[in-house]
Amino acid sequence: MLKRYPLLIVMLILGYLFLYMPIVSLVIYSFNESRLVTVWSGFSTKWYVELFNNKPLLNAAATSIKIAALNATAAIVLGTLAALALVRFRQSRGHKSLGVMVTAPLVMPEVIIGLSLLLLFVAMEDLIGWPQGRGLTTILLAHITFSMAYVTVVVQSRLAHMDRSIEEAALDLGAKPLKVFFTITLPMIAPSLLAGWLLAFTLSLDDLVIASFVSGPGSTTLPMVVYSSVRLGVSPEINALATIIIAIVSTAVLIAGVIMYRQEMNKQKRL
Amino acid sequence: MTTLSTLSRRWLLTALLPATLLSQTVQANDTRLHIYNWSDYIAEDTIANFQKETGIRVTYDVYDSNEVLEAKMLAGRSGYDLMFPTARPFADRAIQAKLYQPLNKEQLPLWGNLEPGILKSLADIDPGNQFLMPYMWGTTGIAYNVDKVRAILGDDMPLDTWRLVFDPEITRQLASCGVALMDDPIEVFVAAMAYKGTDTSDYSRNAITDAAATVSAVRSHIRYFHSSQTINDMANGDLCVAHGYSGDMLQAQARANEADRGVNVEYVIPREGAVIWTDVAVIPADAPNVQAAHRFLNYLLQPDVIAPISNYVAYANANAKATPLVDAEVRDNPGIYPSDATRERLLVLKTPTNAEARNMSRTWTRVKTGR
Repeated sequence: MLKRYPLLIVMLILGYLFLYMPIVSLVIYSFNESRLVTVWSGFSTKWYVELFNNKPLLNAAATSIKIAALNATAAIVLGTLAALALVRFRQSRGHKSLGVMVTAPLVMPEVIIGLSLLLLFVAMEDLIGWPQGRGLTTILLAHITFSMAYVTVVVQSRLAHMDRSIEEAALDLGAKPLKVFFTITLPMIAPSLLAGWLLAFTLSLDDLVIASFVSGPGSTTLPMVVYSSVRLGVSPEINALATIIIAIVSTAVLIAGVIMYRQEMNKQKRL
Repeated sequence: MTTLSTLSRRWLLTALLPATLLSQTVQANDTRLHIYNWSDYIAEDTIANFQKETGIRVTYDVYDSNEVLEAKMLAGRSGYDLMFPTARPFADRAIQAKLYQPLNKEQLPLWGNLEPGILKSLADIDPGNQFLMPYMWGTTGIAYNVDKVRAILGDDMPLDTWRLVFDPEITRQLASCGVALMDDPIEVFVAAMAYKGTDTSDYSRNAITDAAATVSAVRSHIRYFHSSQTINDMANGDLCVAHGYSGDMLQAQARANEADRGVNVEYVIPREGAVIWTDVAVIPADAPNVQAAHRFLNYLLQPDVIAPISNYVAYANANAKATPLVDAEVRDNPGIYPSDATRERLLVLKTPTNAEARNMSRTWTRVKTGR
């Protein structure tokens, strides 16, 4: 079929180029000798050496990854619960309003989320003394708030298309609802949980606006350092760091993809 | 460095003000210090040396715009002890909102090292220099591609003039090789007023309309309006003339030299006068570690501490005693340390009122869209 439509192949290649050329050029220029990100002047790994001597940048990267991982884990738990409530309790009165409230952060401008959370944290500190000051905890809380919305959407669509007869069979055979959830439901929606986790991780790693508002002393994240260095000039150290992150992330995505593919295959075999 | 529109900044100010009233001063504590500044806006070893000398543990956090800094200040209890905002309009507004605490000069015995001229230039927003300690300063001027501009305009034409961006006869010739203005209404209108020789502190409707007419006359010759894209384009030789902050334009020059592809960038402060900007150090009213903040400020006042910072960031510092210690490469660059004659012509930006800012933003949009 592909042979009959050469145009399709060309479009496919163009599409991939459009998506991946910027990343490829970023990786190539991380090995550039020159400080200029637009002029190639020879192969060098000096920016990787400089990166490993740049404490603030590495600290910020570690902070970002820590927040992203914790955020993704918490968002998965809360998002799955929200998705369950939305799919399984359609008749309940709060269904509509829960749906709107959970997914509101998807459409809310980041500046508004950041600012309102900042005001909330300040007011809470004055009223109940927690959270004391702002820092990792407040960034984490803010990130969970919006990541949860994305996870909910991902898990919800999987739950909606799930075959409920298997769960019903388990219940008929005397399994308790909690047992059914952990042994039947959870394994069946596992691929969407993995996808949601990765999505939440990426969103958190990427976020500048909300984190800027709710950060405090000692909680500078990676995007803040990158944007802040614009004032005095960005160096290819950032390319080097991005290359390392891309390598790690693409490995993780590849592994996740293989796991999901295998599961899908097993399921089809069983059917 | 303006990114958010003036209008939304005003809105932030009013939205956040009540929160500041709730915050209270926390007890002084001397073992920690939280600094909030731009990334890399300090020498690589300044913090380490200070920690070694005093035993105070320093955390250095970074922000990416003055607006973020302002929002956090207004919300209160930011937790930071020292910040480095741009004096106008940010520190000006914050002083009016009572967000800073007065500096204790008794704890700053080296205050006398500061340049009286710079202190005087801040006196109108900070009478008696109670709140602001000047850190680094620079100008907003013009960068040009030496070879291309000379080839078009000839060797006799003086280039240290706003005519490069505002004289239609000249911009018409330069248009094909690229002229860019900042995307910042106040900076551009004040530059246009300086070019026309009118009063640069007059933000009345008529004055702004006149300034807008000056910009509109060259509008068709301007390739784009942007405040930071010019750095790369100048360095690569894609632009001939750019209006921008001295720090950005000198960065373009340094990058062009590093790339070594025959692009020659020069930064000048126009003879008609140019805007001077100052970044200042301030202690928030609710800073937890006031004593440590003063110790760090006094540390920065030492000429042998601030001079290496100037060498590293390539900005002029406000310390008169430090100038001889600054590398000749930085000190002798007239774009960084201008001559006394040039400095006398530098202009101070007045902070516009709400109504003036609104009028400027609207006029600016009209000028940019060419209507």
